Amino acid sequence: MPRRSSSTSGSGWPTPVDAVTLLVGVDIGNSTTEACLAELGPDGPRYLGGALAPTSGVKGTAENVPGVVKVVQEALSATGSAQHEVAAVLVNEATPVISGLAMETITETVITESTMIGHNPDTPAGAGLGTGTTVAFTELGSCGPGEHVICVVGAGVDFEDAAVGIAAARDRGVEVTGAVVQADDANLIVNRLPAPIPVVDEVTLIGKVPLGMPAAVEVAEPGRTVRTLSNSYGLATLFDLDPDQTRLVAPVARALVGNRSAVVVRTPSGDIADRRIPAGTLTLIGEHARLSVGVDAGADEIMATLRRVAPLADATGEAGTHVGGMLATVRDAMADTLSDTAEEQDVHIQDVLAVDTFVPQLVTGALAGEFALENAVALAAMVRTSRAPMEALADQLRSALDVDVHVGGVEADMAVLGALTTPGTERPLAVLDLGGGSTDAALATGHGEVRSVHLAGAGDLVTKLIDSELGLDNREVAEDIKKSPLAKAESFFHVRMEDGTARFFDEPLPAEAFARVVVLGEEGMRPVPTRYSLEQVRQVRRSAKHKVFVVNALRALERVAPGGNLREIGFVVVLGGSALDFEIPDMIAEAVAGAGIVCGTGNVRGCEGPRNAVATGLVDDHTGRAR
Amino acid sequence: MSGIVDRRVELDRRSPPTVVVRCAGERGVRELLAGIEEEGVPVRLAGADGRDLEARGDGESGTAAGVNTTAVELAHAAARASPLDVGVGVDAEGRVCVHHAKRPADRPVVTADSTRARWCGHNAARLVVGLPLKEPPDEMEETWSHH
Repeated sequence: MPRRSSSTSGSGWPTPVDAVTLLVGVDIGNSTTEACLAELGPDGPRYLGGALAPTSGVKGTAENVPGVVKVVQEALSATGSAQHEVAAVLVNEATPVISGLAMETITETVITESTMIGHNPDTPAGAGLGTGTTVAFTELGSCGPGEHVICVVGAGVDFEDAAVGIAAARDRGVEVTGAVVQADDANLIVNRLPAPIPVVDEVTLIGKVPLGMPAAVEVAEPGRTVRTLSNSYGLATLFDLDPDQTRLVAPVARALVGNRSAVVVRTPSGDIADRRIPAGTLTLIGEHARLSVGVDAGADEIMATLRRVAPLADATGEAGTHVGGMLATVRDAMADTLSDTAEEQDVHIQDVLAVDTFVPQLVTGALAGEFALENAVALAAMVRTSRAPMEALADQLRSALDVDVHVGGVEADMAVLGALTTPGTERPLAVLDLGGGSTDAALATGHGEVRSVHLAGAGDLVTKLIDSELGLDNREVAEDIKKSPLAKAESFFHVRMEDGTARFFDEPLPAEAFARVVVLGEEGMRPVPTRYSLEQVRQVRRSAKHKVFVVNALRALERVAPGGNLREIGFVVVLGGSALDFEIPDMIAEAVAGAGIVCGTGNVRGCEGPRNAVATGLVDDHTGRAR
Repeated sequence: MSGIVDRRVELDRRSPPTVVVRCAGERGVRELLAGIEEEGVPVRLAGADGRDLEARGDGESGTAAGVNTTAVELAHAAARASPLDVGVGVDAEGRVCVHHAKRPADRPVVTADSTRARWCGHNAARLVVGLPLKEPPDEMEETWSHH
């Protein structure tokens, strides 16, 4: 039985236990470094355990050494082995993958002259529709009997004074039909009036409400939404508009849909524009063709163009736009990574994924901090090099660990070998590696040949979509939302999970969490700073995962499948960090179910789950060749 | 009939369901009540000793008994007396505290000085209606730690 000799001892045949030689397979990934420790026995490798640590530096560079040393030592100490027992450390041929993300907003809502207040204060008051001319509260005394007015109550007016003033005006015969208030005073004022009128409050920029203009205030009954001001013909009727004018106010009506209260002020030249922003163009360079597509055409058009030029050789974005900037950044980052190697390599964008999304943005010219959902396109791009400076890394590892270090094994081949240790699999088998920056796929045909593909867009893009669609501006919260189920804090002692089950706590929940949507992450509970309901947050989370992972899984499998036919693939094993997600593997399984494929999350060596495939594959490959 | 407790008397004494405010002073009370009213939640105003102010009809709330009681203590006692489990305490210096009967006595929901009485009122009411607490109106002028 041949055995690879240990470079240090060169001892003879198996004697005591501590003379057993060990092999460590190490997979340096984009975000994690994994190790697999195995004992070399006469009947092949016996797996002892594994370890996992964050990757130090960019994958495939000498900066990875501390991370590798850490996992090797952790794997050894977990199994009670000593470093001198290690015969060799096997490292995969890690090729650096750098990905970038960019987002371009392609529509914009601008109110050129203040025409609408469409916000949803928590507590508007009264109910119904009031119309009249806007009059400042202080000027109410100069209004004549019979005049229809909307009272604008500015900052610093006490609610009792406001109520007394409005009631006095009404006594004189002035038809005060509604009010707009700066403070959160709507109910306080209405409660003190002899007859209720619709009042919209919390209008922060009340000074901008134009005075002396025809206006309408509408407040719906609790549980309902405005009916007249959100209807273009309702506005046309109220303000006596001709068809051309109605066309102009249609965006106002649309912006008010779903609100419980609204104010519309008609200004002579005021108009609300629903503009498309020029977002620059993306030039996709294929091996045979070169096509440009406007980013504002949307994700579908960009992806269709990408298919027409495939295979992609490079991509550039128009200078001065976000897309141009992002593609340049990705390329520069890769060039920097490789600058310490002797050989100069050309860096090319290898894949692009475009996703339609929306971004809540402050309406320009709004009076109460109103948001409008604007359309946007998110883009992920990646570069990958053919070969990384692995020898330099191996040299440094050799001196750091004082053991033999072998570099070998193409990552995709190793992943397939590792995935095949999942119980219940056989060739032809496809691996889907769902990472942070890229989605990779490899297919091993029955003849042992392996085809692989690397696509842009993975976990990081999902986080970015969640972050921007919910307007969080907080990556950590977005990351938590991505990883864990949601709940709503219903009292100080219990939450209702998104599936309806209740969960109780011994310690009272913090006041900030009360009645909020919360994420029950690994580090405990985190309130989500949003006004969206639990169901809306869940919807955003699931659609982000669908738009990135399901789309990419299908794209990747089609690229590796023989003739692009998914039915030729027998088994799909989902691997990588995002395979640990609580819903992504199910979404993918559902999407490919139609093609008659067995698809599931990998369970490497029957115990590691979707982790450790490449590290295991390295050991497997090494011992296989040794025998 | 032994073993059956007739709770009707107790219920009668406690109803109608309201947020209870116990105040040892008058500072901030008007704004506090405005906040609760704006959210549409019924409220009952009591002195530091827990007796209804309206019932007494004297309008003078600063009973000597409450001078040394802290807002947190007043709030917790108020919350325990409230059928809605939510109480507010206002101490002689105008400090305001919002409490919930089921929370530990030393861990109130929010505390603030009288300039933020309105905000406290909103939040007390929001505990009842199940809405997230309002953002503080501006930078915290004063924060009490209670952990």
